[in-house]
Amino acid sequence: MRPAIPFLLVASGLCAAEPVVSYEEHIRPIFREHCLKCHGEDEQKGDLNLSNQATVLKGGSGGVVVVAGRASTSLLYQAITNADDAERMPPKKAPLPAAQVELIRQWIQGGLREATGSKSLVSARDTSFKPAVMAADGGPVPMPGKLPEFVPPATKRLLPVVAMAASPRAPLVAVAGHEHIRLLDAATAESVGTLAYPEGQPNVIRFSGDGRVLMVAGGKPVQSGSVALIDVMSGRRLATFGDETDAVQAADLSPDQTLVALGGSGKVVKVYGTADGKLRYKLTKHTDWITAVAFSPDGKSLASADRSGAIHLWDPVNGGILLTLAEHKAAVRALGWRSDSRLLASGGEDGQLIWWDARDGWPTITNTSAHPPARPAGYHGKLQNGVLSLAFGPKGELVSGGRDGFVRLWSSEGRALKALPSEGALPLQTSIALDGRSLFMGDASGRVRSWSVAPE
Amino acid sequence: MKALLIALLFPCLLFAEDAPSFRRDVMPVFFRAGCNAGSCHGSARGKDGFMLSLFGYDAKGDYYRITQEMVGRRVNLAVPEQSLILLKATGKVTHTGGELFAKDTVYYKTMLRWIEAGAPDDGQAVPMPVEITLSPDRMVFDGAKGMQPLRVTARYSDGSKRDVTELALFSTNNPSAAKISKDGVVSAEGRGDTFVFARFSRFTTGAEVIVLPAEKGYLWSNPPEHNPLDGIVYDRLQKLRLLPSEISDDETFLRRATIDLTGTLPSVGEYRAFMADTSADKRTALVDRLLASEGFTDLWTDLWAEMLRLKGGGYAPSATDTKAAEAYYDWIRQQMAMNRPLNEFVADQVTGTGSNLTNGPANLYTMLVHDPRFIPKNFASDFSQLFTGVRIQCAECHNHPFDRWTQDDYYGWVSFFTGIQRKLGVEPREFYIYNNPSAPPAKHVVDERPMPATVLGGEAPVSAGGDPRKALAVWLTSPENGLFTRNLANRIWAHFMGRGLVEPLDDMRVSNPPTNKALLDALAERLATNGFNLRALAREICTSRVYQLSAKPNATNAGDDRQFSRSQLRRMRADVLLDSIVKATDGERGFSGFPKGVSAVRFYPRSSGDTGRPFVGDQFLETFGRAPRATVCACDTKMEPTLSQTLHFLAGDTIPSQVSAGRVVAKALEAQGPPQALIEELYIRALSRKPEPRELAELLDLIGGGTRDRKVYEDIFCGLLGSTEFLFNH
Repeated sequence: MRPAIPFLLVASGLCAAEPVVSYEEHIRPIFREHCLKCHGEDEQKGDLNLSNQATVLKGGSGGVVVVAGRASTSLLYQAITNADDAERMPPKKAPLPAAQVELIRQWIQGGLREATGSKSLVSARDTSFKPAVMAADGGPVPMPGKLPEFVPPATKRLLPVVAMAASPRAPLVAVAGHEHIRLLDAATAESVGTLAYPEGQPNVIRFSGDGRVLMVAGGKPVQSGSVALIDVMSGRRLATFGDETDAVQAADLSPDQTLVALGGSGKVVKVYGTADGKLRYKLTKHTDWITAVAFSPDGKSLASADRSGAIHLWDPVNGGILLTLAEHKAAVRALGWRSDSRLLASGGEDGQLIWWDARDGWPTITNTSAHPPARPAGYHGKLQNGVLSLAFGPKGELVSGGRDGFVRLWSSEGRALKALPSEGALPLQTSIALDGRSLFMGDASGRVRSWSVAPE
Repeated sequence: MKALLIALLFPCLLFAEDAPSFRRDVMPVFFRAGCNAGSCHGSARGKDGFMLSLFGYDAKGDYYRITQEMVGRRVNLAVPEQSLILLKATGKVTHTGGELFAKDTVYYKTMLRWIEAGAPDDGQAVPMPVEITLSPDRMVFDGAKGMQPLRVTARYSDGSKRDVTELALFSTNNPSAAKISKDGVVSAEGRGDTFVFARFSRFTTGAEVIVLPAEKGYLWSNPPEHNPLDGIVYDRLQKLRLLPSEISDDETFLRRATIDLTGTLPSVGEYRAFMADTSADKRTALVDRLLASEGFTDLWTDLWAEMLRLKGGGYAPSATDTKAAEAYYDWIRQQMAMNRPLNEFVADQVTGTGSNLTNGPANLYTMLVHDPRFIPKNFASDFSQLFTGVRIQCAECHNHPFDRWTQDDYYGWVSFFTGIQRKLGVEPREFYIYNNPSAPPAKHVVDERPMPATVLGGEAPVSAGGDPRKALAVWLTSPENGLFTRNLANRIWAHFMGRGLVEPLDDMRVSNPPTNKALLDALAERLATNGFNLRALAREICTSRVYQLSAKPNATNAGDDRQFSRSQLRRMRADVLLDSIVKATDGERGFSGFPKGVSAVRFYPRSSGDTGRPFVGDQFLETFGRAPRATVCACDTKMEPTLSQTLHFLAGDTIPSQVSAGRVVAKALEAQGPPQALIEELYIRALSRKPEPRELAELLDLIGGGTRDRKVYEDIFCGLLGSTEFLFNH
């Protein structure tokens, strides 16, 4: 495993070591060739002058055209990459050569350097992580004791591991099964019990922050959906929320256990109070199925994501919108918070794995292809490279599973640490155990696999 | 790194030995049940969050979306019968599409068995259908109501055959003649002929259905045959128990042939000479004379210029400057004048290279598209529609749903034109058209495979290197290429008969068969064997008895407008109409940008700007539906009546101004002839016939005998020119 260039990653927030691209050396010649006739010194269509760095930064009558560090939100980059022939710049011409588009992208991502020696305009961000001392609550380690008698129904084959979670307080992993939950000892990977889930298929499993409560959300597709809270030690059912007409596909329990958020094909996130089971508010900004929701560990925000790639951050107290995180181009499959609530990670079907700064919604680390599948010989076209799952570990490290068939471990700075092949069915779920020493993976054949990873 | 496998909690059941194949067995269920139809999950964005490829063009993508996109939702491998796709299809849960099939159907069982087997993907070697056949492929229902079940058999790439009747979709082209049920049972409905179709996989195939009238007593009238074309039409008429109308009289024939062959009316002199001629072969002699005339050349140059979207403009980047249009027009006219074989005429354009100002045929690559950019896909679609009648563009996004064309065909076809470039010449109006041999081929939209240039239906790409258009021209214009010969034959037949054997002319597909296949085949065959000789085919058509039939229906054929049992009334084309008005009145009509005396058929639009937009360039021609040459579609030429046409004839000044400018009446009055003779001349000029005695008597009565008032006769002339009889070729 080769270390990448950690300094650059931390300092500038770049996702990879890209060459230094500057306006004077690389970009102006491109503008000169294609743009300056209409957007130059002589004529400024749309009040836009691209003939020097200062006027580029100034933008045109439509506002700023470049945002340092974010090509995807820069008007100029959008204009030259627009797929619509009628909208793309330059007008009525073939698109710019791919190499030139890439240079412009790198120039924007790299912080709009004027000359090679200029400073990047992307402000340095600190993504360092100090593990919070986990406050021991003094109680016993929440492991299952004597659970209610329950024999899981016989099935044709195992349910794919569509949900899985590791306890933050105990060496315990909970795994989805058909109408039940399998509980495994994280140290031995042996079964330590089974919990009934008569509602159907568990699509989301989460432990509460104290490890005492297990949240299970799911149901039967296009029939029913709800969220259940179960006491981990006794297996007792604590409460059930929601009466949906479709299985719940995304859910979370707030860190203080007062709120439950759920969503699915209804495109609406519903938030219930656990004290009275009443609906507190609905979040209606999403335009597609809700695929993931997650409360920040400090309880100050609620993240929700949908199948079109949108992520919104909400104020969990009243449901007011805080931020919109728009980088994903396809369904977001997973959201996860680092335990200090500073970073939110998201992974999606567009192959992107993004670590967001939760304070201002800046994509601090962007890995545009975190799970690149190998291209079979003679195979053309797009390969599925989606990120399917992710979870932070106790040291701020992240584990993700993807359509390349690998489980990958990333450092707190987004550096690739390990790539572990699933060697079988698609890895659907990934978790890091309490001690940070083992990774768990659940795959599409229902198998759970674990690896021990040496601590750094 | 330690790997640890956790023991499975439940043993997997054994896989069924004969697990259904996804492509061979499961996808046809989606097709039959309508899941992947355009209005449902086959729409480009899917439906209710779930998308399938339209009619199943992308099996790999469909497999992914069903089993992988949302693992655990659409198929449930743990409890197969609870799979969402089964619950949806059987209507057990809310489904916009409702219940599509029940649990006891073969459809349900196939899907369930597939999921029970673990919803496996196919290996590489799944046999795929290569052909489907219908049995019976021809049905005649005689009189009484009847039913006939159809059987659909698919032949697979491994040679195996399978009855796929249960998996096919059925349709009829004319439900008033025959209907077909969902299960493929044909029922006769009423007199007529039609085709019923079965679709399976990417194939469509048809069976002809003839429903004969119940009444007895049909007796073939045994009309003579002038040439073999008559025999082929008669065969068809007898099958359908139709009788041809009588042959038209000389006056009607003279007018019809003159309009069809030269785009204008016969003169008074021509009329008198033809009527006075007593020789037996005078109709053939007339056709020969008209074929040799300048008018024939002008008319066919006009028809080609219209099809090729010839238009001149002043917007330099489109490379369609008026000077280029002139070069193209002159070249086309030369070819028509010398009766250049049509295959060579087309081939010259297909391989057109060089300056648009000096090399006429190269303008195909600018005029057919009228775009500052050359977009190979757009050009390839228009090219196909024009020269083969195939609307290949349907196969851009999915395999053609009602024909045999696949996306592979489409992208291989586009690759003939991916190398076309335009380079600015020595002046701004001039562009050099050339092929860049190193241009990459088009990429398949589904999997981005490069698709080297391949002719439609071709098994392998044309040899790489050089200009692929040479191979294209050879293939396209070969006498063996039925796509080309049938398209040309159909267009030529349609010009003379007022209706193509396939309509619309530019929509040739399996599911739109010709109304008389034997006739279209024969016409195509003749074109191929006579050296693509336009005049020879036109001569054969115009000397046939079928061409010369009267428009007047008999007891059997009043409802026939597709089998040529009688002549079809058809309005004159806009330009022919205008030329006919000018000819009848001895008038004169100028056109913007052209010298005096140029006829309407010799006029083509010249604008000062962009030529991409619809532009006719003349008010009269626009009103009467001349093609604005905005698209390659044959439907751009409009023959439908409109209110503005009626108003133009009632109150417009075209006819009165031509009548007074030509001074026909004034000259006749100066010559001191009798009123009867003058009225007769006006009839001949406008209608190519003498007035009926009753008409003459009534007119004389109306004008009070022997008036010498010019205005009275000019009113009569205007009335004749404004009449429906004038407006139509009959």
